Amino acid sequence: MVDLLKTPAAWPTILLERAGAPDPTDLDAATRAGAFDGLRRVIRNFGATATIALISGAGLRGRGGAGFPAAVKWRTAGSTDALRRYVVINGYGADPATGTDRFLLEHDPYAVIEGAAIAAFASDASEVIIAVRADATEAIRRLESAIGAAEEAGFVGFDIFGSGHAISVSVRPVQGAYMLGEETVLLKALEGKRGQPEQRPPYPAERGLFGMPTVVHNVQTVASVPWIIRNGAEAFAAVGSADSPGTILVQVRTPARHGIAEVPLGTPLRDIVALGGKLPAGRSIKAILVGGPSGGLLPPDLLDTPYAFEPLRAAGAHIGSGSIVVADDRACIVDLARLLTRFCAGEACGKTIPCRIGTRRLVEIADRIVEGRPRPTDAALLEDLSADIVASALCDHERLTTLPLSSGMRYFRSELDDHIVRSACPAGVCHPIAVAAGPISQGDHG
Amino acid sequence: MSLLPGLGIARGMALTLRRFFEPKVTIKYPEVRLDPPPKFRGRLQLLYDEWGTLKCETCFQCAQACPIECIDMGGMDTRGRFHVHWGAPETYGERREESALRRSGRPVPDPAYQHFAAVDLTALDAILDEFDHDPARMLQILEATQGAYGYLPVATLKRISQRTGAWYAMIYGTASYYGHLRFEPAEATRQAAAVDAHRPSEGTYLSALDAALGGRSDTPGTPGTPGTPGTPARA
Repeated sequence: MVDLLKTPAAWPTILLERAGAPDPTDLDAATRAGAFDGLRRVIRNFGATATIALISGAGLRGRGGAGFPAAVKWRTAGSTDALRRYVVINGYGADPATGTDRFLLEHDPYAVIEGAAIAAFASDASEVIIAVRADATEAIRRLESAIGAAEEAGFVGFDIFGSGHAISVSVRPVQGAYMLGEETVLLKALEGKRGQPEQRPPYPAERGLFGMPTVVHNVQTVASVPWIIRNGAEAFAAVGSADSPGTILVQVRTPARHGIAEVPLGTPLRDIVALGGKLPAGRSIKAILVGGPSGGLLPPDLLDTPYAFEPLRAAGAHIGSGSIVVADDRACIVDLARLLTRFCAGEACGKTIPCRIGTRRLVEIADRIVEGRPRPTDAALLEDLSADIVASALCDHERLTTLPLSSGMRYFRSELDDHIVRSACPAGVCHPIAVAAGPISQGDHG
Repeated sequence: MSLLPGLGIARGMALTLRRFFEPKVTIKYPEVRLDPPPKFRGRLQLLYDEWGTLKCETCFQCAQACPIECIDMGGMDTRGRFHVHWGAPETYGERREESALRRSGRPVPDPAYQHFAAVDLTALDAILDEFDHDPARMLQILEATQGAYGYLPVATLKRISQRTGAWYAMIYGTASYYGHLRFEPAEATRQAAAVDAHRPSEGTYLSALDAALGGRSDTPGTPGTPGTPGTPARA
């Protein structure tokens, strides 16, 4: 059970505007609350070009992690010559500890469907595929019944709003690999192939699903679109920071509680962490893990960093899955970074060598340090190897896999040195006195 | 120590000098290219890592790239699952032998290795009809096949390849990638139970989070696991 955290009244709600509805699949109630009003306006009044201009003016950026401007994707896909075009909505939510996308799909399926339909209309696509994690059965059930109801009402499907446009919307449960969160991997899975990322460019907006132009969006990106159409680009641009307007869902997890909240982009981390309540008496914040398994570990003195794409990247973290985990002083940074890196390395698809072998070596080095068998050069080796992996990476998964260790080294260097030089763990988590019963077998890394 | 001081150096330099005037084997590759014999296909070599296990991850990328489909393989993939699918069908019996398995880098778990047994394909044909023999819907076909047979027997994969026209290596590469697809009956795989409950690596990550939060185990329901959806507690 994931709760919705109470946010200050001054914070606007864009994504979760209708999340309080007793039955999210009730189309009548949703339309009374404004659902499909945006799509109607787009089709009847605006047309594709004006819609793209509006979204471009609002400055909407992709919530999937990279923060790419949505309007550019639509324009590229719409202007690429092709037989058909697709809109793929990524609701996979790869981070196993974050349920923000699923929460949104469950509580406001119509916002996602409407936003996807607007994106499809603006980029001249005829098919919308919403990819959802197969174990999110409730989200799939609600989405399917919502699509059914919207089709019956003529909001999606053949001839939407009597305009002659056909946009078919379908749900595809996908499962089986963490990497499905990456857009080109998800497209591979939808094509029925082995899920390995592709070199970009060409971006999916030019050559995507089945070689056709494909707009790939996170559920939160498209769920913001109807609000922008209804309330105007200026209203949206006024929310959040100047270069990343709008709101985003985060999942805050502290020792005290955990839950989902909608926060304007650019909110200082301090305010977001405060949503998670006070730490137990006598405990202090040691690190904040921002961005999920491949997130960065930030020290408490960076709590004033704005939660937005560029400032986080500069600080050595990223928005990623929207997960914000607060670790108190009982946590060992090296051990935490090692476990995160091990997870990411184990989930690597193995397509490129820097990822397949490089990340495994990262884990081995971290294992050595934690288990009390460090070599004096290990810190330098970690830095070099991380830089090499980032420089030669194919996809973002492999670039970001280095983040826990590299940000951990950047901000918690003394703790790492304690492990390497003094064979001591200040937090008392690791027992670095040759715990390893023998050489590490490969099975440990699977 | 040599008798004559400097003799060793002289010998070494003589060798250098001799090599200096010999014809060169190295070519300046991108500019100059060798003309290999028409049947030359390069040499396939699998490397071993420092623990003596094969570095091959059975990702089937080489098999997919092979224009005449002569590559097939056996080994352990990144998920710790084992795959033996190499050689012509007639030699499967021989490949099943312990020594063959051992050569592939795996301790032999069970002598009765039943992967290649024939199975009743009527259920599969119905599935293929349902999905229109469409290779683009391969994942759904594989999931439905696993639903019908409990796992993906080799015979079914061969049949899918035959009927959809997709390469066997392609299908196998797809099936071996996704964690929820398996090649052995659920009860035969030691991690099958873990896979059904939860991906093992997801557990690693969640436990790392718990560790970060001071070993707190009273979390009401792990986020991200299938379960009851949260009700919005808006105030």
